[in-house]
Amino acid sequence: MFKPFTLQARLGMAGVLLAMLLLPALTADPYVMHVMVLTMIFGIFASAWNLVTGFAGLKTFGHHAFFGLGAYGSALIAINLGLSPWFTIWLGGLIAAAAGLLIGTPILRIRSMPHVAIVTLGFAEIVRICVANLSGLTRGEMGLWGIPQFEGFTLPLVGPVSFTPADKVSFYYLALALTVLVLLVIVRLMRSKTGLAMLAMRDGEDAAESLGVNLTRMKLMVFGLSAFIVGIAGAFYAHYLSILTPASAVGVDLMISIIAMVLVGGLGTVSGPLVGAFALTLMIEAMRDLENYRLLGYGALIVVIVMFLPKGLVTLRERFFPRPQEQ
Amino acid sequence: MNLAIFLEQILNGLIAGSMYALIGSGIALVYGTMKVLNLAHGEFYMLGGYFTFYLTVQLGLPFWVAIPLAVLLAFLLGMAIQKLTIEYLIVRENWAFTTIAATLGLSIVLQNAALLIFGERFNSVPYYVDGVMVLGDIRLPWQRVMIFVVALATIAAMTWLLKYTRLGWSIRATSQDQDAAEVVGIPVRRVYMICFGLAAALGALAAAMLAPISAINPWAGIPILLKGFVVVILGGLGSFPGAIVGGLLLGVVEAVGVQLTSSEWRDVISFSLMIAVIWWRPWGLFGKK
Repeated sequence: MFKPFTLQARLGMAGVLLAMLLLPALTADPYVMHVMVLTMIFGIFASAWNLVTGFAGLKTFGHHAFFGLGAYGSALIAINLGLSPWFTIWLGGLIAAAAGLLIGTPILRIRSMPHVAIVTLGFAEIVRICVANLSGLTRGEMGLWGIPQFEGFTLPLVGPVSFTPADKVSFYYLALALTVLVLLVIVRLMRSKTGLAMLAMRDGEDAAESLGVNLTRMKLMVFGLSAFIVGIAGAFYAHYLSILTPASAVGVDLMISIIAMVLVGGLGTVSGPLVGAFALTLMIEAMRDLENYRLLGYGALIVVIVMFLPKGLVTLRERFFPRPQEQ
Repeated sequence: MNLAIFLEQILNGLIAGSMYALIGSGIALVYGTMKVLNLAHGEFYMLGGYFTFYLTVQLGLPFWVAIPLAVLLAFLLGMAIQKLTIEYLIVRENWAFTTIAATLGLSIVLQNAALLIFGERFNSVPYYVDGVMVLGDIRLPWQRVMIFVVALATIAAMTWLLKYTRLGWSIRATSQDQDAAEVVGIPVRRVYMICFGLAAALGALAAAMLAPISAINPWAGIPILLKGFVVVILGGLGSFPGAIVGGLLLGVVEAVGVQLTSSEWRDVISFSLMIAVIWWRPWGLFGKK
């Protein structure tokens, strides 16, 4: 993680980015664009969950609460106060971060992983029930619709850019920009001293503390940052689809998909969550007819990966072609 | 609201709480011995409900045959699942996370397998006993009284098992110090398996008792699991007596809370109670620091 990027790695990253930038030129098919936008939203969510679970070692199972808070928060502010989604998605992120700090404070000061798992799960359930029950505000199970879209603008050289259901390409580039931004933040963080302290905390809390890492502050910082990123992903999702239901935005199914994606890609790696999000989304789309077996497949996949490939897909290469050990 | 109705609600809360206690004590038993948080525990409840439904309604067995059979089936299933999954994960380095993730995966597999096999219909079982017990102004169906009596008997039996049998001694030794238990010749791995089976059996028993009152469907285990988690947090994670008291307490708090608000807020009340307890006494109401 702290080695300088090799030329190979740099070329690889540049290649993937170039391919992503050029994809709409090859096919602007709305269906392909839609699938890619969802992949990137889930990829951002998965990366942020991996940040707390894979890098900081805080095993939370309730991150869908922050997705839902960001989504509903941003949508409700945009609808009721008439503010622009360009502004409210950041508010959605802040709402999620505030909730993350609120729920993180009691659980992160005690060093018990089961408590973290249980309380985050319970908190997500509280959020889901509140969203479903407060139907005067959120329209409950009926679904919140009529969420404002991003306003269009005019780019020099490109011309007018608009964000309507027909213009998937502009959403694609916006999602790509967000994904790159989130990745930059995560990579910068993980390659900094703070990132080193975080990994030390994950691998040995007592040792890290004795070397001067403030565990509680570090955990709260990571938890808040992760909730913020997930909140923004949720807010983007809200303004992209323009309709939210408690099940789609705060359902536990969402969290299960994210966990499956991260485990398939590789927990505790930078590229794993994105690879996992891409692989699983493609798999789901390829097997549309088997929709009824989707969750069954996710569940089985989680069990199989955990038992037989605990480090995920991105470490497969090293498994089959081990690099010579560095001296 | 008059006093009789209020007391009736408290009694109903205690009865629901006795079932929460069975669920919570299963989670506590597994966590107490092998430090595994079992996210698939709710599915043993759900499967126990289906076993009871098929044995009583489809096969027409009397309830006093069907319920022990359902519980036995769950016991065997629990042991088999432990043997096939947790057994391998628990010896690995990263077991604390992988066991949670694996049981989460298992829970989803079991839910969706139940959905495919049994369908999404809500099944229910007829009352095992009819009639209503009348005590002054308070009226309680005998069915509910029976639930409470069975719960108390089960708790008594489990306490006896843990205190006075060789198996119980092994379980308690393992939960106190796994390495020391191994040194004195306790087959720790077998204890793990049996504890997992016992927990599944306790979950299935709760489902069998509640089957006439609440419908059985593939997702019936999810709310039950979350309730069980609240119970173990209240009582202190891994404590068997804590889970019993925590369960009863949760039942009463919910009953009072629902009287004050409405039933759709029931789960919010219990989860908020859990978070309040974590703020105030993270080691549980009855656990030690």
